[in-house]
Formats: sequence, structure tokens, C-alpha cells
Amino acid sequence: MAVILVCAVFGVGSVWAADNSHVASLRRLSEQEYRNSIADIFGKDIAVQGMFEPQVRMGGLVATSTAVLSVTPAGFESFSKMADSIATQVTDEKHRGKLVSCNPKAANAPDDACASEFLGHYGLLLFRRPLTSAELRARVNLAGAMTKSSGDFYAGLRYGLAELIQSPNFLFRKEMAVPAGGKAYTLDPFSRATRLSYLMWDTAPDAELLKAAEAGDLNTAAGLEKQVDRLLASPRLETGMRAFFTDMLELDTFDNVSKDALIYPKWGGAMAPSAKEETLRTTINLALRENGDMRDLMTTRKTFINRSLAAIYDVDFSFGGDWMPYEFPADSGRSGIVTQVSTLSMFSHPGQSSPTKRGVALMDIFLCEPTPTPPANVDFSVINDTSGPLKTVRERLMAHATTPTCASCHTHSDPIGLSLEGFNTIGGRRLTENGQLIDLSATIKGTTFRDGPGLGKYLHDNPKYPACLARKLYAYAKGVDSEEVDATAFKAAYKNFTDSGYRMRALLKGLAESPEFFSTPAAIQDASAEQPTKLASH
Amino acid sequence: MTLHRRTLLRGMFQGSAAAMGVPFLDCFLDSKGQALAATGQHLPTRFSTFFFGLGLTTSLWVPKKAGLDYETTSQLKPLEPFKSKMNVFSGMRVMVDDNPNFQHWSGNAAIATGIAPTKASQFDSKTIDQTIADVISRGTRFKSVAAAASGDPKHCYSSLGGANTLPADPSPMALYTRLFGPGFQDPSKADWKPDPQVMLQQSVLSAVSDERKDFMKNLGAGDKTRMDQYFTSVREAELQLAAELKRPEIVAKVAIPAAPGEMPVNYALPNVRTVTPLMAKLGALALATDQTRVFNLAISEPGSNIFVPGDPLGYHITTHMEAIDQNLGYQPRVAKYNVYSMELLASVLKELDGIPEGDGTLLDHSLLFAYSDQSYAKIHAVDGIPIMLAGNANGRLKTGYHIAGGGAPVSRVGLTVQKAMGLSVDGWGKGSMETKNAYTELLA
Repeated sequence: MAVILVCAVFGVGSVWAADNSHVASLRRLSEQEYRNSIADIFGKDIAVQGMFEPQVRMGGLVATSTAVLSVTPAGFESFSKMADSIATQVTDEKHRGKLVSCNPKAANAPDDACASEFLGHYGLLLFRRPLTSAELRARVNLAGAMTKSSGDFYAGLRYGLAELIQSPNFLFRKEMAVPAGGKAYTLDPFSRATRLSYLMWDTAPDAELLKAAEAGDLNTAAGLEKQVDRLLASPRLETGMRAFFTDMLELDTFDNVSKDALIYPKWGGAMAPSAKEETLRTTINLALRENGDMRDLMTTRKTFINRSLAAIYDVDFSFGGDWMPYEFPADSGRSGIVTQVSTLSMFSHPGQSSPTKRGVALMDIFLCEPTPTPPANVDFSVINDTSGPLKTVRERLMAHATTPTCASCHTHSDPIGLSLEGFNTIGGRRLTENGQLIDLSATIKGTTFRDGPGLGKYLHDNPKYPACLARKLYAYAKGVDSEEVDATAFKAAYKNFTDSGYRMRALLKGLAESPEFFSTPAAIQDASAEQPTKLASH
Repeated sequence: MTLHRRTLLRGMFQGSAAAMGVPFLDCFLDSKGQALAATGQHLPTRFSTFFFGLGLTTSLWVPKKAGLDYETTSQLKPLEPFKSKMNVFSGMRVMVDDNPNFQHWSGNAAIATGIAPTKASQFDSKTIDQTIADVISRGTRFKSVAAAASGDPKHCYSSLGGANTLPADPSPMALYTRLFGPGFQDPSKADWKPDPQVMLQQSVLSAVSDERKDFMKNLGAGDKTRMDQYFTSVREAELQLAAELKRPEIVAKVAIPAAPGEMPVNYALPNVRTVTPLMAKLGALALATDQTRVFNLAISEPGSNIFVPGDPLGYHITTHMEAIDQNLGYQPRVAKYNVYSMELLASVLKELDGIPEGDGTLLDHSLLFAYSDQSYAKIHAVDGIPIMLAGNANGRLKTGYHIAGGGAPVSRVGLTVQKAMGLSVDGWGKGSMETKNAYTELLA
């Protein structure tokens, strides 16, 4: 901490406030990033209670929208209350012994030295960079003023800290770009630490990573590799990868899935979290614990189930604990995560499976082939003609809706969904529907396959799937739209991935150590808007 | 008789411990018997929105007669008790010009902003409720409050512009806690007093605001807009705290109920039917006690996923999949879902109309703007989206009319709403929907 405090006091503001630097990206912390950051900085017993702004998915990822969204009034109201509640807990009698490193000269009077130590330390961890001397002074002054009006030193710390936690410098990951020779720009050291840490661990950079940033280690190949290897070797990688796969597999969608309990009484309140957990356990087990081939995620029959899932899978749950490893029999029709309850039920109607929904989702999630939205079928020139009888307009519009335009998209996405018709809307197995045997075959671009295992093998053998995984990881790490990413941007990472036999850690390492990971476009000049502010500030 | 409540409050602020035993009595009426607030002003006009997905069936809801005394159609039947207190608008056009017709988005976005959206799921300007809130919500605890009756906080079509929508409270419990939980003091209680903590919190917010200049440095244009929203949000939190230091000026004769329990809030229609009136009641109480003057309620998203238990498809998919019955000439199951939306709207109006205030009810001192995303959902048509205005806005809006739009831009309704809410605005909307032509015949 001593090292850190030195820079907090003297400030290294020039690193990111240099005139030729610019803000490369500004990403609002996700709920999980916020929670993880607070837990890591202050400890897990500090409660975080309150509403977070809803998430939005763009280009297949929630992470992408964090670079576009802001904070609404209702959202800030909640952030502000949460910040105060966290700061109150940190400085209360129960926690201050552990979390406040210095003792004030008097309990009822300001002590700038102690306040400065406290706010400088947490400021560094919260802002993921040292505070400039002016920034620190502003918080110390605030704490002093609050101590004076309340007659309580710790109340001063509380308000000073609450300010840091609701500051845009905490709520947004502000990544600064600095010139890297020629027209190239790259992230500054502390922004590098931040990007690495949220990718790997889904949390704020720890003291060691910040130290490495300060020492300039993250700007050398050897120093970077040392830190990347450390992050990859930690069990906390699981937290980071859970966050990534939750996003990529759209498992957050589950929070708003309703099923018709009248048709499917097996579907209870515990089902969504159970199904989500099953998919995450399967994925993390393969990716990190077994260090397996990520293509097997499409074909593995190994999974983890609990009592509620056992009911849907029609499996005897003879196990004392909450979760047990389970391997589906070969004739079960199950194949990887595409036939798990999560995927099957999220992309279905409340009381009926939907080949279209499943097909559209799987093409997008695993093959990075989003299906265009269907045409709206409103011909305004026709509708504008109010002289004609309305009925005819409708008929013409209806005729429009059955043109081959629709068929072209449906042949793209429906086959995947049709091969999953052997599973109902909650993911249970069925071979007949209304007494009739279900046709489980599907054909995509000349390849014919059948049922879950057929689809699993099709995806396993399709080179678009691992490429899509690499593309999504790149977009997730950088907060960019996966649909707009050029394939060359993640070429190095992808090569590492294929060379390793599709191991997740190899993909992560390849990505984090590739030059593209920290590179960023030059700033878009916005001199007209910026100029007056600059003049005014001089 | 003139009572200056502010003077009394100020007296108490400066340390006088005298109890404020001054409940608002019927002496707060003007010479015409109209209710007055403490300051001697008329009761403020409150604004609400009600969003329902997937429209109605044109042949079943549009009255043949226009003007007053139009016939009640089968789909408007649930609203019959409020017929004299509301207006219905048919045949209003959404003109998308060169922009795509984003399904389940362009229609509602155009109604809420007067602008055809250039991107799906984004608003090209501030929505009408926020424009109105800027003017009428000054000094209230919340600039606006939103609730989502099928449990998704994203179901709120209120925005400062862009991709951000203001999150809605997704359950009656969450809504109750926000409105009447910590930070709320019943303004009708005699021992009302400002919380000294609030002033300390104000200093914190002021320090956050002070970060603006530094934080905005070296930002691109898009990020600048985002951070403008962030700092606007900080400013609103400051105003909210300032409001908490003042006793609200209206004291309605209402009792704040106990907190509602936890309950399932999702797309199943029986749940939506339980939750909608509960949320409406809480919203109405928030308006009546001047915690806010703007309340937004959505029963679902556009392209509603509400379902009747036992219906495997649900509302949205039914609109696309159900065939038109050749004898009836419409989609019979869709038509039923349409009516459920109107029943839910009626349940909201009932709550607003159930709170007596001065010479009438809260509904009379309100304007509620109800609208949908599609007119004919099967083909994502946006012309003729059903729109209703309820409440006479403190006498500023004439009610009881069916306005047959005849292809007029939908923005005329939004402009009329703003004028009825007392905003000084000449025109509204963009492109083909830019209009200066309010329905002046409705404005009193």
C-alpha cells in the first residue's frame, strides 16, 4: 500500500490527462462488475443492496451496450443510495478497525492526513488509477467539511467515500488512449490493467496488477505475459469466465422467462436459476477444470443436475448434495449445452417450443450469424391511399407477408430449431406430438442431420463455431459490437486457440497478449465542442 | 383567507418546535369551490402514461361516429364508465419517412417523441413524459416514477433520448419501497420535519457534480452526450433531495397503505391483472401526495408476451400466427387479448378516479396518455394505433370525444397533450410528423 500511496499523493495525472490522449471507451459497470468490485475492495460482508439499471444486449452481448448506455435519473438515485450504504458500512464501528488503516487524532475533528490516506487508498482501487492531487484534495476537503458539520471524523470519511463510489470515475470504466507511434493509439497502463482484470476476473484490478501498471510492466511483452499468466492461473478466472459465458449464452435472458404453469406444472420458480447454473457448470468444467476442447461443448453428454432439473430430464436424483455430476445415456438425444434446459426453454414460447426462436438464437450465439429482422410488411404508399377500401389494403399487405422474402430467412434459421423439436418448451424429451411421431431431421446448406446429437455434431465440426467464440470474446473484452469486428482483429487470438486444440485459456492468453487487444482507433476530432472549455480552464 | 404554508415551514426550519397541526381543510377552495393547494394555487395537473402492446382490432374498436356521443364499440366497452372523462383517437398516422418501420418500436417511439426513430430500441429525443416532467415536476421528490406490470424493469418507454430508458419498478413491492419506503414522510402527518441527513447528502452530490468539468475532457461526441445524461441524473438527485427538505404542498385525504407483499410478477395474465391495479393505486397515491407529478405504467413491452394460462403461444405470437376468421373478418383470439388490455386500462383509470381531490378526483386533475405500438399487429402496421387521453387536465382538456384522425400525423395528439399540460410549445415532431396543429377544439 505504501507504494500506491506515493503516487496517490504526488499524482501521475499527466499519464492520462495528456493533451494528446483521448478517452478510448467509457463503459458503465455491469451489476456483476459492480458487485465483484465492491466485494474485492471492501470485503464480502459489505452488503450491496439496490436496483441496477436493466441490461440491454447489442450485437449479441450485454457487454457491448455498456459502452453506449448512460445512467438515468432513477439509476443514479439508486447508485447514490447504494454508495452511501456501502460507505456507511465501511466506516461503521464494526468494520472501521479493519478497513480504515489509520486512527484520527480526535474522533470528533477533521484529520486531513488520515482522511487522505483512507481516501487515497480506496480512490486508487475504485477509480482503478491513482487520484490526482487535486482529486484527492477535493475529497479530503469534503470529508473535513462533513466531519465539522456532523462532529464525527468517521462520518466525514463516510461521505468522502460515498462520493467516490457514486463518481463517474468508478461507475464508468474510462479507458484512456495514448499515442503509440504514427497514427496508432494504445491504452495507457492503468486502462490496460482495468481491461485485463474485468476480462479475466470480472472485477477491479488488484493491488499487484495496479503496481505492474504503475511500473510500466504491462507495456512490455514479458511484464504483460507475467500478469496474464497470473490472472489465468488464479481460481478467480472462473468468476470472469462465468460472466463471459452468461453474456455470450444470453443466460441473463432467463430472468424474464415465463412458462405456462398450467401446461407445464414441472416448471417452478427454482427452474430458471437451476438451468442457468447447469449450463455454467458444464461450460466452466469443460473450459477451465478439464481444460477441454471447447468444440465438445456441443457434443458432451456430461452435465451437472440438481433435483428440479432431474424432474425435467426424467432422471432419478439419488444424491445427498445439491448438485451431482451426471452423464446422459447415448440414446437420450442430449448433446452438449444446446440440448440443456436453459437453451431449450429460453428460446421458446410460454407453452410451446419454437423452432424459429431456437434457430435464430443458436445461429446468432454459436455461429455469429444473426438473422435479419423480418420485413415489417407495411407498404406505406399503399396505406397512404385512403381512397381505396381498407380491406383491400389489408389483403395486399397480407399477400406481402407471404412473399419468398420471408422464406429466405426462415430456411436460414429454422433447420437448427427443427432438429430440436424432440424437446418441449421446458426442455423435456418428447418423440411425439399430439400422437404423431415428430420429424427431427434438418438440412442446412446440403448437410442433413437429425435430433440433438446430429445438431451437436454439425456445430462441433463447423469452423464457424470456434471462430464465433473468439469473435464474441474479443467484442466482450473491448466493449465493441461483435457484428462490426473485422476478423483480422482477433486473428492472433484465434490462431492460439486452434493451435492449442481449442482450449479456452489459450484463447484468452492469445487475446490478451495480441497487439490488437490494447490498440484503439484515433480520436474523432471534436474540437469545436472542446475548444471553449479548454480556453476557459486556462 | 390566505395561509402561507411556506412561511410556516420556514418558521419550523429555523428551529421552532411548534407542531404543524394544520391539516388541509375544505377552506382551501377558491370562490368557485375548486380545490386549492397550500400556496393558493389550483391543484397541479398530473401526467400519466399507460402503455399496452399490440394495439386493438380496428374493426372492433373504432367507433363509426366521430365527435361527442359516439357509440361504444365492443373493444371500448371496458372503458365505458369513463367515456365522458376521456377521448379516443383513431386513424392517426405514424410517418416514418426514410427510416425503417422498426417492428414493435417505430409506432410507440413516434407517439412518444413525435419523431420516427432512426434506430431500433432507441429514442431520437426525450420522450413526452420527460418533456412534461421538466416543466411540471419541479419541487417534487421524484421527477417521474415508472412501473412495469409484467415484471421487467426494461418495460418503460420513458427516456432522455438514446438507448437508455428510465428503469421501471418491476413489482408492487419495489414501487412501494421507492415511493413510501425510506425517505418518505407522510405530508399529512403533523410531525413532518426535514431530515438533517439530507443536507449532508446534498454536499456529496454537489461534489459529484463538480467532477463534470474534468470528466468531460477528451471525450468523443457520443460519450459527451452520455455523460450529459449522467450529470443531468446527478442534478435531478440534487433536486430530489431539495424537495425532501420541503413539505409537499398538497395534502390529499388518502392513507398510505401497508407495504404489499411479494407476489409473482410476470407475463401470466392473472398476475398482470392483480399487479396492474396495485401499481396504479401506488402511482395514484404518489401523485396525490405530490411525491411525483408524472407516473408511467406499462403492462408489457411492445410485442407483448402476456399470455393466458393454457395458451401455448401467448399474445404476440398469436397476433402473427392466428388466421383471420373468414366469417368474423378478424382474429378472434387476438381480439380477446385486445380487450384484456382495455380492461387493464380501465382498472388504472378506476384507481385514479377513486381518489377524491377538491372538486373532483385525481383523474380530473390529471391527463393520462394511453397508447400502443401497432394498429394491426399481424403485419406490424403503425397507422391507426389506438390512442386514448383520459382526465380533463384540471379543466384544460375537453373530454368525451372520438377524434377520427383521417390520416393526420400522430404528433398532433402529443402536441395537444403538451398544450393541455400547460407547456408553452408551438410545434412538435420532425419530418412529416412535424406539426403546429394541435386539436385546439379539445383545448379549453
